[in-house]
Amino acid sequence: MPLQVQQLIDALTATPPLEGYLVVGALMFAIGVWGVLIRRNAVVVFMCVELMINAVNLTLVAFADYLPNAGGLGVSYAVLVIAIAAAEVAVGLAIVLAVFRTRRTVNVDEITSMRG
Amino acid sequence: MIVAFFFLTGMTLVSALGVVISRNVVHSALFMSGSFLGIAGFYVMLNAPALAAFQVLIYVGAVTVLMLFGIMFTQRPQARRYRTIINRQFWAGLLVATGVGLFLAYVLSAEDWVGAEAGNGPRQVAALGRDLLGVSSGAEIFTLLFEVASVLLLVAIVGAIVISHRKAGEGLDTGVEE
Repeated sequence: MPLQVQQLIDALTATPPLEGYLVVGALMFAIGVWGVLIRRNAVVVFMCVELMINAVNLTLVAFADYLPNAGGLGVSYAVLVIAIAAAEVAVGLAIVLAVFRTRRTVNVDEITSMRG
Repeated sequence: MIVAFFFLTGMTLVSALGVVISRNVVHSALFMSGSFLGIAGFYVMLNAPALAAFQVLIYVGAVTVLMLFGIMFTQRPQARRYRTIINRQFWAGLLVATGVGLFLAYVLSAEDWVGAEAGNGPRQVAALGRDLLGVSSGAEIFTLLFEVASVLLLVAIVGAIVISHRKAGEGLDTGVEE
């Protein structure tokens, strides 16, 4: 009986494998792709882009922690990606506000003035 | 550890799905912050507590507030039907996204990661700081990247102000037309 309890405790406290984090990142990226493809609201499209950026960040940090030759540098790259994503959100929302002011809509299906 | 992993996985993926299929845009923003919190938990599990703090401060705090700010400026109240928020590519988009997700998951898990073992990350915040400033060996490129990122943030601030600046006589609440 204590053997099974010990095994259960061991199974519950085991470290998840690297592939677990990678698959979670891949699924989150796919959900972000789905949102970018189907949503009509430009602000929600931005949110889905943020989801994709976070999925890639998770992959970077997982590699930095699991691969011995990575030197832990993935964490530093993730910090830079966060900074660049923050800049992207600021400029993107400014563009959305400018488009809304002139077109009175943020529906990406109706903003077709750049169609060739 | 594995319990926390599955809990965070469920929280992250369910919240991410909530962002996509929620009818209310404000709910989408709040689901997004829940998903970011799950990612911050993953960072703690991956020996990067300083990065988890950055994630909570920047994403759960600042980016979510910025999104809510944008929603308040641009949205009408809640959409009644899915047809008004989702375009006609619902099933095609699901097919493409499933294909992308399965392909990535297959490629990443079919690869044999030699010597993959937890605990190689910069657990100490001081080590992360040395990496980020390019002081430690092998990380010299970060001296340049750090400066480039700071210039980029400055440019983004100025650009955001210029783009969203309202010129005199233009815009919504001048009362000229409408």
